[in-house]
Amino acid sequence: METSKIIIGYLIYLPVIILLTFFVSKTLFKNGRIFMIEIFKGREEIALSTNKLFEVGFYLLNLGFGLSILRIPSYHFNETYQELIEVLSTKIGGFSIYLGVMLFLNLFLFLRGRKKSKSTIIQRVQGPTVTQ
Amino acid sequence: MNYNILSYLIYGCIMVYIIYKVGLICYRNGNVFVLHLMPTNTQLCLYINNILLTGYYLLNIGYAVYSISTWKTIQNTYSMIDTIASHVGSIVLTLAVLHYMNIIVLQLFFKSKKQHI
Repeated sequence: METSKIIIGYLIYLPVIILLTFFVSKTLFKNGRIFMIEIFKGREEIALSTNKLFEVGFYLLNLGFGLSILRIPSYHFNETYQELIEVLSTKIGGFSIYLGVMLFLNLFLFLRGRKKSKSTIIQRVQGPTVTQ
Repeated sequence: MNYNILSYLIYGCIMVYIIYKVGLICYRNGNVFVLHLMPTNTQLCLYINNILLTGYYLLNIGYAVYSISTWKTIQNTYSMIDTIASHVGSIVLTLAVLHYMNIIVLQLFFKSKKQHI
């Protein structure tokens, strides 16, 4: 096996990205549930299904991106462990930075939705008192 | 058996599994939304949702199978892994973009319904 180090690299990279995505989305959407219930003002059914839909979207986006950057080009790969570690560190580091940006983007979406739903409540509460 | 046929088999299994799973989850959770949009007519909601699910399956599995024609010849094991991964990745990314667009469209529907009331 001449190029077995690339396969070793793939076998390390794939479980790492799947586990990273799994844990990040687990923490994000376990807490996102509370946000969603607050956004939809206690209508639990619709809040939970929105949360689930966002979770599926998060998984699809991140696993799709992770799989599509998997390729290690073989034409200037020197078959040494040093090179393998360097290539893997670039890929895994880049992927986790991307995952962090996505996490904050999703959190920002939650916070924005919360603010919007709060402002509509305030309008509804204040509306009648102003006209009286 | 050469590498191409083997990788087509693996790719087909992965794609059908992912598309089936995602479709099922969206079908179950989408039911709540369609029911919320038209609370009076349960039968029509189920009907619409079933049609949406069938359309989704046809479109995605069709596209996934159709894109097999663009594959190159595969020489060895590691290029088999990376070709499968990049094709699965690109289709899953497309699926994600479609999914987020769907969520945005649902949001717009909700807004227009609130304004009517």
